[in-house]
Amino acid sequence: MLKITYSGCTMKRNTFYLLIGIVALVEVGIFWLSVRLEAPLLIQIAFILGVVLLYLARRGVEETIEDERTVMITQKAALRTLEVSWVIFFVLSLGSAVIAFSRPLGLRPPRPGPQEMFPTEALELPVFGGFAIIQMTLLCLMIFLYVGFRVYYARKYGEWDTDEEQD
Amino acid sequence: MKNRIKVYRAMHDLTQEALANAVGVTRQTILAIEKGKYDPSLELAFKIARYFGASIEEVFLYDEPTEDL
Repeated sequence: MLKITYSGCTMKRNTFYLLIGIVALVEVGIFWLSVRLEAPLLIQIAFILGVVLLYLARRGVEETIEDERTVMITQKAALRTLEVSWVIFFVLSLGSAVIAFSRPLGLRPPRPGPQEMFPTEALELPVFGGFAIIQMTLLCLMIFLYVGFRVYYARKYGEWDTDEEQD
Repeated sequence: MKNRIKVYRAMHDLTQEALANAVGVTRQTILAIEKGKYDPSLELAFKIARYFGASIEEVFLYDEPTEDL
C-alpha cells in the first residue's frame, strides 16, 4: 500500500512492479489515441512523463531492489547489448553507404515531370515514416538483446536460484 | 571463492533475509554468495564479516586456482 511521508511517496516492491504494468498499459492507450488524433507530440510527452514517474517511484521503494550484484548484471548486459548493437548498426550503415555511393555523387537532378503532379508532402512523408519504422525496429532489437543478455547474466549470478528458505 | 556464511548464519540463528537487510543487499545476493555464484565486493565482504564479528579470512576462503602442468 502507498504511504505518504514528508519525503515523498514510499511503496512496497510489488506495488512498484504493479505501477510499471499500469504505466505500460496507459502508454499503449495513449499511443493508440495519438495515432487516432494524428498527434505525435501526445505520445512523446506521455512517454517522457511515464519514465520520470517510474524513476521517482523507484526511488521511493522501501525494500532493497538494487545492490552491487544487480548493478553488475545490468552493466554486463548493457555492455554486451552495446557491442552487438554497434556491429548491427555499423553493418546497416555500411549497406546504406554502399547504396549512396553507387549512385552519381553531387546534386540530384530535378524530378521528371511537372511539380504539381507530385506534391512534396506526398513524397516525403512515407519516406519519413519508413525511416521511423526502421529506427523503431532497431530499438526493439536492442531491447530484445538487452533482455536476453539480462536473463543470461541473471541466471549466471543466481537471480532465480532457490533454497530451503525460499517462500 | 568459498565462504562460511551459512555456518555463521546458523551460529547466529539468522535468516538470509535478515542478513541481507543488515548489510543492505537483496536476499538473492546472499543466496548467490552462499552458493558460490557471486563473489562479493571487498566492501560487502567486510560488512558481512564485521556483522558476524569475524575477520574476512574466517568467513571467506580464497581458492588458489590450480595450475595446468
